[in-house]
Amino acid sequence: MFINPEVPLESLPGADNLDWLPLHPRFVRRLQLGALLRVLVIGAIATVAYFLMKGGDSAALGRFADSLLPFALAGFGLFAASILIWPMIAVPRRGYVVREKDILYKTGVLWRSVKAVPFNRVQHTKIDSGLLDRRFGLANLSVFPAGAGGHKIRGLGTDTAERLRVYVSERIEAEAIEPEDDQNSPLPDPQAEASAAHENGPPADAG
Amino acid sequence: MSPSDPGAWQRTSPFAIVFFIGRTIKSFTQSLIQIVATFGALAVLIERNPQVALVIPVGILAIIAAGVLQYRFFRFRIEEDRIHIHQGVVRKTALDLPFDRVQGINVERSLIDRILGLVTVSLDTAGSATAEGQLPSVTSELADDLRGRIRASRPAKAADDVSAGDVPAVSPDGVTRETSAPAESLGQILLKLRAGDIVRIGFANRNLVLAAAFLGIFGQSLTFVAKRLDPIVEEAFLGAGTLIQVLVVIGFVIGFVIAGLAFSLLGAFLRYHGFTLWREGTAYRTRAGLLTQREVVVENRKIQQLTLSHNLILRLFRRHRLRALPAALVPNQGGAEAAGLQIAEVLEVPLLKGPEAEDLRTRLFGREGHALSLLPQTPAFKRVSPHYIRALTLRISVTSVLIATPFLAGILQADAGTRLADAVLGLTGTTFLSPLLADGVVGPVALGLFLWWLASIPVAALLAWVRWRRQGYLHDDDGLAGRSGFFGRKVDAFLFRKAQSVDVTQSPLQSRKGLATLHVRLACGQVVVPYLDLGVASRLRDYMLYQVESSRLRWH
Repeated sequence: MFINPEVPLESLPGADNLDWLPLHPRFVRRLQLGALLRVLVIGAIATVAYFLMKGGDSAALGRFADSLLPFALAGFGLFAASILIWPMIAVPRRGYVVREKDILYKTGVLWRSVKAVPFNRVQHTKIDSGLLDRRFGLANLSVFPAGAGGHKIRGLGTDTAERLRVYVSERIEAEAIEPEDDQNSPLPDPQAEASAAHENGPPADAG
Repeated sequence: MSPSDPGAWQRTSPFAIVFFIGRTIKSFTQSLIQIVATFGALAVLIERNPQVALVIPVGILAIIAAGVLQYRFFRFRIEEDRIHIHQGVVRKTALDLPFDRVQGINVERSLIDRILGLVTVSLDTAGSATAEGQLPSVTSELADDLRGRIRASRPAKAADDVSAGDVPAVSPDGVTRETSAPAESLGQILLKLRAGDIVRIGFANRNLVLAAAFLGIFGQSLTFVAKRLDPIVEEAFLGAGTLIQVLVVIGFVIGFVIAGLAFSLLGAFLRYHGFTLWREGTAYRTRAGLLTQREVVVENRKIQQLTLSHNLILRLFRRHRLRALPAALVPNQGGAEAAGLQIAEVLEVPLLKGPEAEDLRTRLFGREGHALSLLPQTPAFKRVSPHYIRALTLRISVTSVLIATPFLAGILQADAGTRLADAVLGLTGTTFLSPLLADGVVGPVALGLFLWWLASIPVAALLAWVRWRRQGYLHDDDGLAGRSGFFGRKVDAFLFRKAQSVDVTQSPLQSRKGLATLHVRLACGQVVVPYLDLGVASRLRDYMLYQVESSRLRWH
């Protein structure tokens, strides 16, 4: 039997109308440089493969290589253009929000997703930055709950990432559930606890 | 060996040598393929040079010696709050395990152990290799002693469990205490399986169904097998009339099914004989097994998710299978360093009736989630959007086209000169380009694929419709149950406050139709509810986050 939750859903803090914080502006350039390097490597491999096929003993293979060339060139051009342009479309659509009790991350242009991790479920956090990231002064922040899940926010400024990590760690400490509390405090009644926590909860972001 | 003598180094009983021999063999044979390959190679060598056969007794002796050595080097010491286990012949390991890090004790009894009244204890630890925390062939008194110490090392945890469990011992000031002493034998017995039930489990073996279906389809190939068996058999078989041939094939199939059934029943009895589920304090325990008896202990508060499932045969029997999944990744209380991966024991009830499942759910979820149901036929389950059928139809039919492409291209391709190029394309995984090579093939292949796609749509739509009918969800204030399945059905239920993170995703079709998919990640896996109304998905997400963030109860 379906029972409608007693807490009025409309008054809950919604995650729909939030001010999403953008990633670092240099992140687009960093992704484009990465894409350019990939294009160059793939192009080099394809060129070598073409000349190997042409120079081989088999005439059929040579003919095949020639017949494939226009398709390969067109395909390669499209591929290169799309992965070079893609960051300019994708990055502005990513964003993150840090709230009092959780951290949200949204991604996706066609396939969209919004991921939320509450601080009191975070097991640990991690900052990492690769060679290219460091070249652009960027870092990635990962937040891990138990099990598989959590998110990796890519393309934050190094300072932002460190500040966020410190903040998240503080929040984890603050939200940590003390086992002693459970022992000494009265057994919480789910209903009473729900309404009490709701009054003290974070203000509703959604109007 | 006296369990009441803390601080002294102890050995396990010499019967542990069997355990160590087993472990040695296991360490050599990581995979089945390896064993088969080794024996194959050995057989070939022996055929060529019979002296090689000497390797076998030498190898067996070496393995026994390794077992004895491992036993000689295995020592453990129990202190007030921790256990030390030292082991290893060449590479020595010293495990220092504080009892408050132990998640649970599981006990296994092999046939020898049971005759001698011994047990093999495994300590479920947070974030270290479980193989190290094993005490083979110790007395069951020692196991009970350990269990008592572990329970004593964390009174706080035992108490908060009560809030989620159904222990009615609530004193006036609201403080809950575990008053009862550790149960002497079995606590409150909740479920026992009788022989008839175990026969049902044997019949419902999934692999048996698959094998029968496989044989039904490929039964004809037995003709081929018969041909190769023996010239006499071949002559007799081919000389006989068609009717007799068919009868022989059917006989073979039935024989295989009966043999498979016998194996399946044997397996079910070996594994589930005398299955008992009982409650002991805040933990649920099961014990089962004909020769080797296994005991699983799962603390109630560790359970993250309940999964009730039945396949076609279980459905005929009107029975279900229940699994209670604890956290797979036990968090490290230390904080900063990464938590180690550990597969905790799953509490499994292999066969139970619907009302029994519901009763267990109310016990395991305690006073939360009363309006949830684990039974898939519950009318309260709500369907997901019918657009799910459309998306799934497209996915299934496109997949079938991708699978069909190489075959169709191969059939329609006449020109032999392109075979080489074709091979190259095949190797590089770009077979779909091959029609471009031969003149006059592009058209037929494209047409063929298009027709194939059109033809596949009704079938795909039917499959998608069946899947959609199975899909459903049900929620109350505390938790959610998601239903899915194709042949069988499965219900995953969890409490909102056990969620680890919540994702809402949208595909392009979902964006157009205002729909979304809800992914709830738990410490034991994830529960997905596809094709919900975007508003419903967002509200469920917000409510779940609020429940997680405001809950002061431990989730593990």
